[in-house]
Order: sequence, then C-alpha cells, then structure tokens
Amino acid sequence: MKALLWKDTKANIEKIIQNAPCYYGIDYIPGKNVSSGYITTDKSNFEYEVKISSIEEFKKSDKVLLKKKTGLKAIIKIENVRKIDKIPLSDFKLNENLNEIKTFAEGERFVVDYKEKDEASLSNEQKEVMDDAESRGYHIPLSLADKLIKYKKSLPEDKYEKLLKRIDSELKKREIDPYEAVGIIAAQSIGEPGTQMTMRTFHFAGVVEMNVTLGLPRLIEIVDARRIPSTPSMTIYLNDEYKHNEEKVRGLIKNLENTAIIDVADIITDVGEMDLTIKLDKLKSNERLVTLTDILSALEKIKGIIYNQMDDERILVKLQQESFKKLYQTQEQLKSTPIKGVNKISRAIARLDPKEGAWVIYTQGSNLKDVLNMEGVDATRTYTNDIIEVENVLGVEAARNAIYREAENTLSEQGLNVDKRHLMLVSDMMTFSGAVRAVGRQGISGRKSSVLARAAFEITSKHLLKAGLLGEIDPLAGVAENIIVGQPVTLGTGAIDLVYKGNKK
Amino acid sequence: MSKFNVLKHEIVPEHHLVPVDDEMSVLKKLNITKDNLPKISINDPTIKALEEIHGKLDPGRIIKIIRKSPTAGYYEYYRVIVKSVI
Repeated sequence: MKALLWKDTKANIEKIIQNAPCYYGIDYIPGKNVSSGYITTDKSNFEYEVKISSIEEFKKSDKVLLKKKTGLKAIIKIENVRKIDKIPLSDFKLNENLNEIKTFAEGERFVVDYKEKDEASLSNEQKEVMDDAESRGYHIPLSLADKLIKYKKSLPEDKYEKLLKRIDSELKKREIDPYEAVGIIAAQSIGEPGTQMTMRTFHFAGVVEMNVTLGLPRLIEIVDARRIPSTPSMTIYLNDEYKHNEEKVRGLIKNLENTAIIDVADIITDVGEMDLTIKLDKLKSNERLVTLTDILSALEKIKGIIYNQMDDERILVKLQQESFKKLYQTQEQLKSTPIKGVNKISRAIARLDPKEGAWVIYTQGSNLKDVLNMEGVDATRTYTNDIIEVENVLGVEAARNAIYREAENTLSEQGLNVDKRHLMLVSDMMTFSGAVRAVGRQGISGRKSSVLARAAFEITSKHLLKAGLLGEIDPLAGVAENIIVGQPVTLGTGAIDLVYKGNKK
Repeated sequence: MSKFNVLKHEIVPEHHLVPVDDEMSVLKKLNITKDNLPKISINDPTIKALEEIHGKLDPGRIIKIIRKSPTAGYYEYYRVIVKSVI
C-alpha cells in the first residue's frame, strides 16, 4: 500500500495532534490509493504515522488546517496521528531515488517477509553446506546447519555422505502417514514417561532458594489449565541500563516486593480506648527499607480514620464513628494495606545468571501486566509460569507457546525425552478454540461433538440423556463411537470409503 | 509511561490481518469453511494491538499467524476472530 511521506515543522505536527481528526491542506497532489502517511522533521527519520481517509481538491474553508499560506493544491483528511519508533527512509520503496525528503514523496513501506528471515539469518558457510546437501538430494533441516559444517571438515567424504544419508532416512522414518492416530500416540508417549516421573518426584522437592512445583504435579497443573498454579513465579529480564548495575537491581527488587503494614509493624488494638496503635518493627522495616513516612502516606488512602504520629515508631489510629464492629474491620483492613511493591509478588531474588552474564530477577508470585510496564524491565522477554495469566496479558497464541514451553521444561528437567510434536499437539488442542481449555471433562474430552465419544469418557448417563432429549445426531466419524457400534474405525484402512459406480448400459 | 505492545514480546508470534480479498484463497487452500478455522477472541490482547494499526476489526476476519516451530522452521497458522470463546 502506498504511503504519503512528507516533511513538516514541529508546530504544524503539534496542531494536527491537537485537532485530529482534521482536514489538512497541502501543496502536493497525492495518488488516489494513499491511505497512510509518515511525517518527518529531520528529512530522514519518520516519527509520526497518520491515517488518511480521504483526499480532495483544495478549496478555501475555515475548518482546514494549512501547511503553508500559498500554493496549496489538495486537502487530506487525517483520521489519527500516532508517535512511532523512528523509521529510517531506507525502509521505504520510493517512486524516485531520494536520499532525503525535502517536501513530499510517495513510497511503499518495505516489510521483510518472514520466509526470507530464515534464509537471511544463514551465514554464507551455512548456506553452502545446505546447498551442497540439497544438490545431493537430501533434505536437511536448517537447524542442523552448524553441526554439518563441523562434520564436513572433520569427516572423510564417504563418511560425510553416509551421515547425510542417515539424517535423511531418520527424518523420513519420523514422518506421519495420513490418517495415523496421532492423538493416541501422543497420549501414550506422554503418559508412559509420566509413570516414571511419579516415582522420582518424591526425592526432588525444589530449588534451594525458592520452591517451584516440578514433576508430575506440575504436568497435571499444565494440562488441567488451573486458574492459579500452586507456585506462580516470574523470570524478569532487565534492560541494558539495569542489568549490570547491582544498585539499580536492588532498588527494583524493593519496588517489586509487595509489603503490607503487617509485614513491618505490629497492630495493637485497645478495646477500652477504642483505638489502634501501629508499632513499627525496627528490624523488619530496615530489612525492607520502609520508614514510618511510607506507612503514613499509605494510610492517607483509607477512609473513616483519624491518625496521628505519636513518636518515631508509633502511629495512633482512631475511628470517626466508634463501634466494635468497625474497630475490628479497620484492624483487618490495616493489616493488608499495601505500603509499596507490586500486588501479588511476595518475594523477589536477583541472581547473576551465568548464561545471560547479567542480573536476572526471579519472583515468587506473579503479576505480568504490572511488571511489563515497570521501568528497567525488558518487557520483550519477561516471562511467568502462570499460563492463564499469559493468556490474559499476551493472548492465546502466547498461551499456546507457554503450554509447550512449560511442559517441555517439566519433562526435560526429569531427564525424559518426549518427542516435541506430541507436546505441540497437546498445546494446539488446548488452545484452538481461542481460550485455554483443560484436557479433562470440562475441557477437550467433555466438548467433543460426538455424543457416544463423550458418553464413553465420563458421566455416561448424563450425556446420553441430554442427547436423547435434544435429538442429537452422531455421524460416527471418530474412533470411540465406531468401536461402540462395532464398525471399522476411521483410521488407516478404515479411513477410505470406496464407492462403486456401476457401468451404465 | 506508554503501554507495552504485546506483539513485541518474544513469546507472541507474528500476527497479520488477512485482507478481505485474500480470504477466499486462504480457505480454498485449506479446503475448509470459515467456521472450521481455529478461533481467536475479539478481546484477545493481540487483536487489540492489531486494532491500533488497522482500526476496528469485526468478528469474521481472518488472522494469519506465523509460528516458529521447534522442528519445522516457520509455518502459517490461521485463526478467525469470534465474538466469544469457550
């Protein structure tokens, strides 16, 4: 799609932003199919993106904002303006060759196709090896390119040829035939290693500093799509400014950890006087870097109380309306009043990650939405193990990747090798409906379209009764229903229908 | 501070809006009808992010997702926007 590119003054852009949507008079006649525009202030980098909904010939009117006072030729209607990350001029395919934008130009935004990405990321050496293998008639996945380079140098020619042949045949062996029952194979392939996991989990309680559920309990949690996992935790990566600066990391941790009044102070209730005393615990408060002023500012938000500072470690809280019920309620409310930190995150630890070569923060408790918008956090990589939270914050496709990642990590941590494709199938099945669904009765199995398949799984009578009342029809397309009625299942040989058309004479 | 664009997160694959004119060829290639496609909610954060670029999206539009597979490089996946998901 063509876009209109132009240079403008800061004052004009300011005017457009304030008035958008608006009409804007320009001294250039753009092509008809222009629907977006980019504005630059320095002739080479574009900072603003505008949406253009219509282009008209110029005529004088009060409503129109003007670029210049004279020589105007057209009016464009600007729907909205957005400030964007700077795009250089080289990102556009222009009608004529230009090094900079003086006034106006038309061009197409040059977007890299994803298919080129894979190819483009290959180095020359890698490309050479891949082309060589291709010319010998072997199809080798790109991920093996690096290993092939190594072997091509170290192995004699005939052995290298043998290696390629072996890779090719191993790959062919792993191909799936049409109408193969992949679901059942996946179920068996995940289920069998799962039985070994149960026995091993008892000796594998957790990590030294933080407890994280592992093994079979975690795997069950993943496929059940629990709303709240038993040990939610986050891995927070930091941006360049923070990741090597220990002091800044410490500051960030203090802002992450959720601190309530009860964590740093004692609350004493005096029923006779009808008041509450907050007594600061010096040891605890020093550890969490909380002062009495922090508590005072947190109290400001609570309604219906009168408070004043008694000395440097006590605050007296009185009620506006005196009643025992209210006194008790206020005490409970004070206990959980947050002083600082991110909601739900109870603990945060920074560790110098050897792989990363920088500080990484691990937390107990998870709140992806708030953490992503915090300063110093590398929002593109920060991650939580709570799949439902990933779905809510980053969308269903991210949740699908999260299910795969979590299941893969849980299994490989136990030293179990399950083919990746089985886990991908499970994660695809759990998310194809647009939301994360559990595998069991409430999820995939309970929502199959076939009545008989559902009845064969669980709560038989309920499904049969409901189907009878509604007059459901079962097309007998699946495995379970065909076994029930005693027909060949629709897999392998049974998948093919033969139709005989007799000779019409 | 500006809100984080979820499409930039490493775990979120590329999402593209399929133009209305191309929808038929996509469905023909897959040999299915629109309601056979996997679904995505209109309230999904990625759809909200796409709406920032394309304006309001209606249920029934097709989204092309470019996934990175651990075994097979990049591949295309399609989802259709629906009003509500179960």
